[in-house]
Amino acid sequence: MVFLQSLLSGVLVGGTYALVGIGLTLIFGVMRVINFAHGDLLMIGMYLTFYLFTLSGIDPFLSIVIVIPLMFAFGAFLQRTFIHRVLNALPQNQILLTIGLGLIMSNTVMLVFTSDYKILSTSYSSGSVQLAGLSVSEPLLVSFVITAAITGALYWFLIKTDMGQAIRATAQDREAAQLMGVNVRRMGVIAFGLGAALAGTAGALISPTYYIFPQVGGAFTLKAFVVVVLGGMGSIIGATVGGVIIGAVESLSASYVSSGLKDLFVYVLFLLVLLLKPSGLLGKSRM
Amino acid sequence: MRLPLARGFALAPLLALGTGVVALVAFPLAVTNPYALHVMILLFLTVIQGESWNVLGGYTGQYSVGHAAYFGLGAYVTLMLLQFRQVPPWWGVWIAILLAVAVAIVIGSITFRLRGPYFVLASIAVAEIFRLIALNWTGFTNGAEGILLNEIPPLRIGGRTITDFVSKVPFYYAGLALAATTIAVNWGVQHSKLGYYFQAIREDQDAAHSLGISLPVYKNIALAISAFFTAWSGAFYGLYVGFIDPGTVLPVEVSVQFVLICIIGGIGTIAGPMVGALVLVPLSEALRANLLSDLLFKIGIVSEDTPTGAFLKDNLAHAHALIYGILVVLVILFMPDGVLGFAKKLFSGRRRQTPALPEVSSEKGSA
Amino acid sequence: MAGPILEIRNVSKFFGGLAANADVSFSMEEGMIMGLIGPNGAGKTTLFNCITGFYPPSRGDVLFRGQRINGLTPDRVCKLGMARTWQKVRPLAKMTVLDNVMVGALARTNSLSVAAELAMQQLRQVRMDHRADHLAGGLPIGERKRLEVARVLATQPQLLLLDEVMGGLNATESEEIIQLILDIKKRRITQMVIEHDMKAIMRISDRIVVLNSGEKLAEGLPGEIVSNKEVVTAYLGEAFE
Repeated sequence: MVFLQSLLSGVLVGGTYALVGIGLTLIFGVMRVINFAHGDLLMIGMYLTFYLFTLSGIDPFLSIVIVIPLMFAFGAFLQRTFIHRVLNALPQNQILLTIGLGLIMSNTVMLVFTSDYKILSTSYSSGSVQLAGLSVSEPLLVSFVITAAITGALYWFLIKTDMGQAIRATAQDREAAQLMGVNVRRMGVIAFGLGAALAGTAGALISPTYYIFPQVGGAFTLKAFVVVVLGGMGSIIGATVGGVIIGAVESLSASYVSSGLKDLFVYVLFLLVLLLKPSGLLGKSRM
Repeated sequence: MRLPLARGFALAPLLALGTGVVALVAFPLAVTNPYALHVMILLFLTVIQGESWNVLGGYTGQYSVGHAAYFGLGAYVTLMLLQFRQVPPWWGVWIAILLAVAVAIVIGSITFRLRGPYFVLASIAVAEIFRLIALNWTGFTNGAEGILLNEIPPLRIGGRTITDFVSKVPFYYAGLALAATTIAVNWGVQHSKLGYYFQAIREDQDAAHSLGISLPVYKNIALAISAFFTAWSGAFYGLYVGFIDPGTVLPVEVSVQFVLICIIGGIGTIAGPMVGALVLVPLSEALRANLLSDLLFKIGIVSEDTPTGAFLKDNLAHAHALIYGILVVLVILFMPDGVLGFAKKLFSGRRRQTPALPEVSSEKGSA
Repeated sequence: MAGPILEIRNVSKFFGGLAANADVSFSMEEGMIMGLIGPNGAGKTTLFNCITGFYPPSRGDVLFRGQRINGLTPDRVCKLGMARTWQKVRPLAKMTVLDNVMVGALARTNSLSVAAELAMQQLRQVRMDHRADHLAGGLPIGERKRLEVARVLATQPQLLLLDEVMGGLNATESEEIIQLILDIKKRRITQMVIEHDMKAIMRISDRIVVLNSGEKLAEGLPGEIVSNKEVVTAYLGEAFE
């Protein structure tokens, strides 16, 4: 029973990780840039949600309607101003640039809102529902449903729409896509915008259940890497599966070993995957 | 800051070097202000960190963003031995260094199979694992409480007390000696077979491999040298500050700082980390001492009495990480070869107008 | 010590289910130049990679002076006396031309001054000594190719594998390379040469091996190869009449 219980909550949390991971993998797929500021984008989503809630009383789950376009615009801005200038630079310089951007984001937020922990408590923050004998946290369940819906919509967008296909073509072969008339620069802007929007959405969805503070992003950046490497860099389905697996591993090791060590298990798993199957569990590496 | 301009005069830079060394050795005799000594010690520490990372990241091109692991290991082992086992630090530091090198070789043998961003990610994960161990193994490391050093026993040689570590002066000289050593090591690397092999690996691993260079062997040598001095700098930091916890010696920010020192100054050069330290340390000290907001008030951009002014005064002191971030972004976008490379380019551009050979990227070169 | 310097026995290399090399066998005598030809995708570079340790062959053996070397890493293979160049040149871009060649020379010595001397010798041989202080990344393609040869010669190989060192060069530059290859032959260094320029390969090779779809299609003297019907229909017909 303990096993099923923690597996279930792990999978629910994993949905959010999947969202963060999908954004990271999308950016990587289209531009071959690893975004080390990804967790900080999530953090900004959290703060947006927090202030929308405390200042105008907008429910955190509703706030994604505002968070998504704002974060998309922010991501597009980052891409146009900074990232596109280093697309042909050494990978280490790309990494350092995004690390720098992350430092700017988290420390600006710290200056403006201080480093105090903030808690967004709603009427349902600690509510739970019974599901087949298992108790499920209400905010987790709602966020999982929203995550699933957004992931589904994203799949539809990437597979069915022209723009989605152009994005996938760019991810598959940048030069070929360019030759076929795809505006790869615009695809980069869209990919970064989408990535930021997904990270921000994840931030909004977890804000009722997490402490909100400026440095929260770092842990999520690392976790997003783990998710993405686990599923295979550049693979969106891989990131989805990877997110759920990481959520489950975390939750299980927290209930069977120690909650302080759950991240340790995640990183060890990460190293093992890197070394034993660097192309990810779902195979097919492009590097 | 001395740029390698006077290549023609062998004597001039040598004289300058000599004068510099004498000045640095004499500094504590002339200046007794503890804050001035403190800033100098921070400068030395930063130079040591930068030069240590430079061996692996600068010359060999292996961008470790996990050097906090070796820094933290050096600090923790030295302080734990001293505090819990009464092992004097001048013995303990060797145990710490040997342990760090051993750990480095194990980690290196595993992670050096990975290339590019995968290696970066693995190095971060390794450092995080160390941080989590230090944080959670409370009975062994004191966990989040950290280790507060009571006192360092006086150093005696042959019954004579050399120093009792009460003032900052012994730390000044220890830092100076260690900084000089790491600089010498970088010089030695650059002027030996190792340096050639490291740089060949940085430029093209497959080509290096085909020219008879064993990649795992030479990458591990670079990492071992780097970890050796990184652990030493960690021990130095712990002994000087007298307090360590997982949040100060093992977080990702520390790893980023190692990279930053080099990237700001210029990667893969001996002077780069020194320049980086000369930029970073005064900057973060100026922020801490509120010099920057005072300057803004003096120039008259912002008035001290306005709410913005009050806000700046309260907060700019904590903004050094923000400034770091801005610096990184500016350096990567506008001077990817660091301050040193940028200055060099400016200078050589002015001195001779002869066009250089056209830069052909290696991708487009072959048919 | 007679016997072949290099012997390739039934070497196969599979990627997934695809055979890039299938059951290739041939051997080389000391001092000869072996031409290795075949259409694009015939498996020539894969064979180089199998010989020099970049890929372990999936099946078969590579013997260097009678010693089995498959499974050795490229650096060990180089130390044994076999060295290769790259089809896509790989200059160590941020190092000088001299430093590039010194890296090769350091395979045989630990002394920088000895290596520098050896390197300058090699640079003179390929007539690049005037470029010694230039950064390798800034060289034009013809000089990059020559730098590649100088660097690999500095490792003092007994067997040299040249992968399209004339690719992308104009007629004059190609002629220089041909002379260089013939000079190297005079120094009793055995060579295996991949080249697309048929006239050049016929001129320099003592023997020729033709690969097609990963398999050895033919082997023989240049004269035999041009008159081999199978070869002509499979490959040469279009390029060489």
